Amino acid sequence: MLGDNRSAKTLVIKLCLAIVSFFGLLSGFETSVGAASSDDFSIIASVQNQTLVDGSTSRTPVAGVLITVTKADGSKVGDGSTDENGLCTIAVPSRDDYLIKIDPSSLPDGLTLLDADKSTVSISKDLFTTNTKRVTFFTGEGASAGASETERVLQRLADGIRLGLIIAMCSVGLSLVFGTTGLTNFAHGEMVTFGGLMAFFFNVILEIPILISGPVVIVLGGLFGLLFNWGIFARLTKRGIGLISQLVVTVGLSIMLRNIYLFQFGGRTKQLSSYSKQVNLEIGPIGITPRDLTTAILGVIILVSIALFLQRSRLGKAIRAVSDNVQLASATGIDTRKVIKIVWFAGGALAATGGIFRGLDEQVSFSMGSDLLFLMFAGITLGGLGSAFGALIGGFFIGIFVEMSSLFVPSELKVAPALFILIVVLIVRPQGILGKSQRVG
Amino acid sequence: MDWNQIFQNTIRAAVGVDAIYFAIAAIGLNVQFGYTGLVNFGQAAFMACGSYGLGMTAQYFGIGLWWGIPLGIICVIVLALIVGIPTLRLRADYLAIVTIATAEIVRLFVRSVKFNNIFGGTEGISNFSREYRDLNPFDPGQTYGVAPFRFSGYTLITVIVGWVLVAVFAALVWQLMRSPWGRVIKGIREDEDAVRSLGKNVYAYKMQSLIIGGIIGMFAGMVLALDRGSVQPDNYSRDVTFYVLTALVLGGLAKVSGSIVGSMLFWVLFVLSDNILREITRNGPLRIADFTVIQSTQVGAVNYMFVGLGLMLLMTYRPQGLFGNRKEMALDGR
Repeated sequence: MLGDNRSAKTLVIKLCLAIVSFFGLLSGFETSVGAASSDDFSIIASVQNQTLVDGSTSRTPVAGVLITVTKADGSKVGDGSTDENGLCTIAVPSRDDYLIKIDPSSLPDGLTLLDADKSTVSISKDLFTTNTKRVTFFTGEGASAGASETERVLQRLADGIRLGLIIAMCSVGLSLVFGTTGLTNFAHGEMVTFGGLMAFFFNVILEIPILISGPVVIVLGGLFGLLFNWGIFARLTKRGIGLISQLVVTVGLSIMLRNIYLFQFGGRTKQLSSYSKQVNLEIGPIGITPRDLTTAILGVIILVSIALFLQRSRLGKAIRAVSDNVQLASATGIDTRKVIKIVWFAGGALAATGGIFRGLDEQVSFSMGSDLLFLMFAGITLGGLGSAFGALIGGFFIGIFVEMSSLFVPSELKVAPALFILIVVLIVRPQGILGKSQRVG
Repeated sequence: MDWNQIFQNTIRAAVGVDAIYFAIAAIGLNVQFGYTGLVNFGQAAFMACGSYGLGMTAQYFGIGLWWGIPLGIICVIVLALIVGIPTLRLRADYLAIVTIATAEIVRLFVRSVKFNNIFGGTEGISNFSREYRDLNPFDPGQTYGVAPFRFSGYTLITVIVGWVLVAVFAALVWQLMRSPWGRVIKGIREDEDAVRSLGKNVYAYKMQSLIIGGIIGMFAGMVLALDRGSVQPDNYSRDVTFYVLTALVLGGLAKVSGSIVGSMLFWVLFVLSDNILREITRNGPLRIADFTVIQSTQVGAVNYMFVGLGLMLLMTYRPQGLFGNRKEMALDGR
């Protein structure tokens, strides 16, 4: 693929150009938004779900709810959707009268507004005591959503499969890089974010449909992975810098990239356009949007092709051989350096794919990948560090497990059981399901 | 541009509370990472043990503030056992993975709505430090000292207590590392199998090192909590550990003075960069032609970008830090 040096160089140059243009354009975009918000007036809409726990009211934030702000005459000022804290900040041009509308159809399944008449809140300019005005909507489990236990389980299972596919996809690269080079890459989450942000750049700013821009983003993600190897880790290995030091370098890289994303993209979560509102298809008891169904099917196709590729093709066998034993593979005539490059490329491309899917499923933000990093680690530890099939199985399982566990634990803590799995696996079988015991030390 | 003010802020940062709690946390991390070779990415969780230990005494148990210290130590030991038992027999990476995960879960727990009544959710806990404030001999409203070392009486007490703690822990660690125990610890970093062949229980030594480093880190959290007068979950995010790590590497691993000088230098550089960028962007974004280079809301991101870049460059070109000894930096475990 990158046999001769020249084509590698052209690729790198192209990649640099792409990144520069990406940041340049995104920066222009961010300024235009920033100019409005620097006048400092904003409305914060908060959506909170109220439940009765042990006789006292408990509130949890509701994410992904669409909020629209209009002027009193109905002209639109801005819109957005709530983040994981249930908050949505919308910049407004001045101290004025506004109407804040919540879109009840964007509420998660089973939730309805507690007071159905209050889907619109009007605020007058006198209410701006400071430069921000906060408005809270309360939701609850409506009578209409009397989902039975089986339905809830099935719905969680469907969500879990989607999350599992994403985690499996993202963690293949992490596991293979570990297998072939021994490096634990803490900046892998940033590769996932790269995919999500690039998808946002093409899809929302350049307004290219995701079906066309998606493949471009995936290739860029692969080149990004290659850049990691070419620019940093291949050089560090050549300088004889140890793996633990390299691990600390990945931490520095992760911090730097995350803050570059924050610098360019801003701290808000944003939605990939034209996919924000979709009506649920009812398949039996499960409600799933056509978008989610498509990503799930695509995800399965991608994962199956990865598995087939690794199992059947020459290159796949070479990759598995190198991640099994570098010296032995090299002795049998496999060009390990080339395989490592391919692994970085493929890992980056898959991480970017995961980032796009995650962006479609949830939202795009500067930390979307690093938030998944822990689940990826849990997945590949369960499957066996260094094994690609292990990453697929482990990541898939962790995704389902996390979503299913939110049946029992509050959804804000649903990742906690993944830590439990991680610890139990390390005690009982540290090499994971498919890993090799000599690797764990 | 008010360079005089920037200069003063920068100098003060070298001795301020931020440098102090970083120094204490770095001394603890140094025991684990620098001397033992344990890649602990969850120092923030140990710091949170200290802060929440103090905060919860008054808020939840209704006992005296100083019970926070034993409470925090128990917390640290439990946490160290949770992360240590499964990982200390394995490759170094596993500890890194589990500590970073545990620290993140700890933060999610304390900021969760579910445990709001215990940990105070995202708001955290405040109004617990009255006992400490009552001990303050200085007038909180008054400022003391000469510029640039000018602190309000409210802060000054924590600055003094903090530097005393730094000195105590520095002396303690220095003495520990000269002791037979310290030689075993350093031996583990260099060659675990050699130490094992001498009949030492490597696993137990590693666990002791993890706990001692954690307890020192816990005091960093306490200093932070006492100075702020509140405990907030987002002060203990994953990245805090990494910033402490950067300060530690900057000063030099496996040297007691390295953690202190590194933390001071880290904050000097950080405050300098922060102040300059804020000064530049104060009257609107900096533009070159039509291209916006930076605006005020982006200053924080740029500062931390520098931190990440600094960590990468240090690890690559000067892993022994600015003052460290390269021989001590044989950090290449298995």
